[in-house]
Amino acid sequence: MEGFGGFASTTTGGLSDNVFLIRFSGLLCCLLCLVACESLPESYPPPEQRPPITSPGPDAMMASMAGPDADSYIVKDIYGPFGNAPWRWSKREPTVKVLVVSNENLNFSTDFAIWDDGFKSTGPLEISFFVNGKLLDKVRYTTPGGKHFEKPVPSGWLALNTEATVALSVDKLYTSPRDKAQFGVILARMGLKP
Amino acid sequence: MIRVVPILFGALFTLATAWSLGMLLLRRVVPSLDAWEGRLLGLIAGSACLSEVMFALCAAKLLYSGALFALGVASIGYAIYSGAFRPHGKPFEPLAPLWRWVFIAVFAAFTWYGFFNALAPEHSSDGMSYHLSQVLIYQRAHGFPRITTDIYASLSEGIEMLYLFAFEFGKHSAAALVHYAFLIALVFLVLAYGRRMGRPAVGVAAALFTYTCPLMLRDATTAYIDVAVPAVLFALFYLLQVWDETVDPKMRSQWLVPIGILAGFGYAVKYTAFLAVPYALGFVAWKLWRAHKPLVRPVLVVALLAAVMILPWMLKNWIEVANPLSPFANRIFPNPYVHVSFEDGYRRYFSTGGLSSRWQIPLEVTLKGGQLGGFLGPLFLLTPLALLSLRFRQGRQLLLAALVLGCTYFGNILTRFLLPAVPFISLALALAIANLPWLLLALVAANAIACWPAMYGFYSTPGSWQLYEVPIKAALRRQSEDAYLSEDPDYKIVRMIGGLVPPNDRIFAIGQGGKSYLPREVLIGYQGALNEVMQDILWTALFQDYQPLSSLKFDFPAREFRKLRVVLKGNQPDQQWSMAEVRIFDGSTELPRDPGWRLRAQPNPWDVQLAFDNSPVTRWRSWQPASAGMYVEVDFPRPQRVSSVAVESSHDSVNAKIALEGMGTDGQWSTVSDHPKISAHPIRVSLRMAAIAELKARGIQYLVIHPEDPGANDFFRYPAAWGLSLVGQESGAHLYRIQ
Repeated sequence: MEGFGGFASTTTGGLSDNVFLIRFSGLLCCLLCLVACESLPESYPPPEQRPPITSPGPDAMMASMAGPDADSYIVKDIYGPFGNAPWRWSKREPTVKVLVVSNENLNFSTDFAIWDDGFKSTGPLEISFFVNGKLLDKVRYTTPGGKHFEKPVPSGWLALNTEATVALSVDKLYTSPRDKAQFGVILARMGLKP
Repeated sequence: MIRVVPILFGALFTLATAWSLGMLLLRRVVPSLDAWEGRLLGLIAGSACLSEVMFALCAAKLLYSGALFALGVASIGYAIYSGAFRPHGKPFEPLAPLWRWVFIAVFAAFTWYGFFNALAPEHSSDGMSYHLSQVLIYQRAHGFPRITTDIYASLSEGIEMLYLFAFEFGKHSAAALVHYAFLIALVFLVLAYGRRMGRPAVGVAAALFTYTCPLMLRDATTAYIDVAVPAVLFALFYLLQVWDETVDPKMRSQWLVPIGILAGFGYAVKYTAFLAVPYALGFVAWKLWRAHKPLVRPVLVVALLAAVMILPWMLKNWIEVANPLSPFANRIFPNPYVHVSFEDGYRRYFSTGGLSSRWQIPLEVTLKGGQLGGFLGPLFLLTPLALLSLRFRQGRQLLLAALVLGCTYFGNILTRFLLPAVPFISLALALAIANLPWLLLALVAANAIACWPAMYGFYSTPGSWQLYEVPIKAALRRQSEDAYLSEDPDYKIVRMIGGLVPPNDRIFAIGQGGKSYLPREVLIGYQGALNEVMQDILWTALFQDYQPLSSLKFDFPAREFRKLRVVLKGNQPDQQWSMAEVRIFDGSTELPRDPGWRLRAQPNPWDVQLAFDNSPVTRWRSWQPASAGMYVEVDFPRPQRVSSVAVESSHDSVNAKIALEGMGTDGQWSTVSDHPKISAHPIRVSLRMAAIAELKARGIQYLVIHPEDPGANDFFRYPAAWGLSLVGQESGAHLYRIQ
């Protein structure tokens, strides 16, 4: 087996030929060591104070049928948009889900309308209002037209950062003579309000 | 096809420049070598020189393509002019025809796979997410910008400096080709070493063992750096052996220069290769001591030159992130940029690699590769046989080098971290059966068959990191880069982000790959202290465990203090300590935070303001295991009357061990109370908006959420509750603009 000795050098020149490189290396090391590092403060003053976190705006937990994201709130029994109208027809139990972003003194709130022509067919309507499946109230409406309902929700019914279902239930539906489709109320918005 | 030209030019120009510098460096010692080993060692040593020059250009912010072109032309021109490329030395004996043709056949077959994969558009995980993303940042900034929010920018980047040179001309694939060239150089160096030993068959067999190793080939075809590490370390080993065998004392001194440079370059390439320095120093010192020759000066020369290669990286880190060894050693060099907890978690994860037992390692690293990121091939199950090579001097040297240079493996048990040992083991294995040439030939043939990519499926875990195909169309750009890369979801996501986010806006993501194709600033959740704080803020809004739902109140008779401290009195190794707010009262009135107060904390003093900002989504955290003596302190500008202190914190059990200490007007510290009254601190409103406001305050304009991110569904379902607008979607990832 041939060893490395078989390739012994034939040229001259020693370490001194690289003395510049070695001296330069030493100088570079020294210079680099002199570079100062960032000095970090030991203590700090109090920072800018953040404002207290307040309840979100009044519409943060309201599902508006006029909004482009209305479909994301709907759980059931609400028809698709009617042209560009800011409302939608409901069926028997229109239900929406909203994220509870505050649980301080919330009210069930809804704006809806009872259609005049439908009212002629159905007569007075009894509408029940539910939060998370619990009956909050029941109201008998004896006239058609725009309605607003608002009532405090018991605090134990809702949990912060969870979804709540908000629904109303119509006792009688109007049936279209043309296509037998059934309609409840004209829903504009529904949800929770501080 | 024409699009391949700049890629090949970028890679070849980089290699030619490195080679020229190397041949100039070695021109005085080359005559003692065979022409080929001189060229190969010249390439590796020149790579170290070019890397150092690139570092200097980046530090001086002089990184322009014109400057690089001039550097390359000047280096190549001067090397030609000075005759550095002229062959010298006594050539090796020609290979026996049988072994020559075996080598050519196997090498050519595997090169068919390797070359076209390296030439294909680069889409490796780490290559896209950090090796080349740093390169992209440096290229755009014409040098090193100060980066404090990405741990990967603090790793030594010796090979990335070469990628940067190639990237300037040929972009991503040029960088991958440079990496592939290191494998070619390594293979031929192993072959040359066998011939230098006088055992050419051993050289051929070991070279092919190294080249056909599935992970070696896979890794080398990407812009990773793991194959450059064994190439550098083996070249260093080679130089040391040549130095040891050189008789002429002047020539021996000359060899110390490339030895020192390569020893230091190991660290510059990858931290785990720092052992090259003690290995080289130990080798030189031991040999000289045994020969009763002076050793101080040679050892100092090697150490000094190694330091020249290492110190720039340390100093860069020291200046930029206050820790020369960042992202490690954060307990020794505490700094605001990398948390100790990150380092602990990183070490913990990579020392187990997700395996339930270390007994799984042998099969995992040789055959399966599913959990440890690739496999070395069935041949390496025979590694114990390499011990038979101990009967040869070269065998002992090879195994010693494998042992020393591979001993960091258990710090990170991914298979890639075994690659430095592969050439040494390959040679030792071949040497062990060198006296049975028919067996060696059979082993070469069997290994070549077993390591042929079509055979991987018979023993490896499906989906493990390996070569699957020869993407000729993509490599030759007959299929567009965009079309080829679009098979990778990360690429599609960053392409979407790049199209929607303005150039100077800042993006935050819990995780995001593919950044080398995204010329935007993306902060990734785990990659820096600031990033982790922002991640913590988001998760505080999402998860109750993070929220300050406890109030710990220290009540005591009112008196005057110069300083107050909330102190941890016990250890809790499984928890960190945190506090969202510290409130100080005189009677029932909370003291307003006076600008004259000075706040301190130990550890993590840099975040102490987060406990005094009145925000429930931010908190001071120890970011390391809770231990006795940690504190948060308020220093009043004048004696302050105080009757109670309240700490708002999460429900961590470590809070049972806190106490309040005060410094009275007499300058003496005393325990004021160690029994805080714990009560609930209910949060009645969503913290989402507040969390996003904190990100905005930290300069973030966009947020990327992936389906696998914790709490992703909450973002997807309630963007309005966060104050986010969805601006784009791709492969499940959602891009939001902060309103």
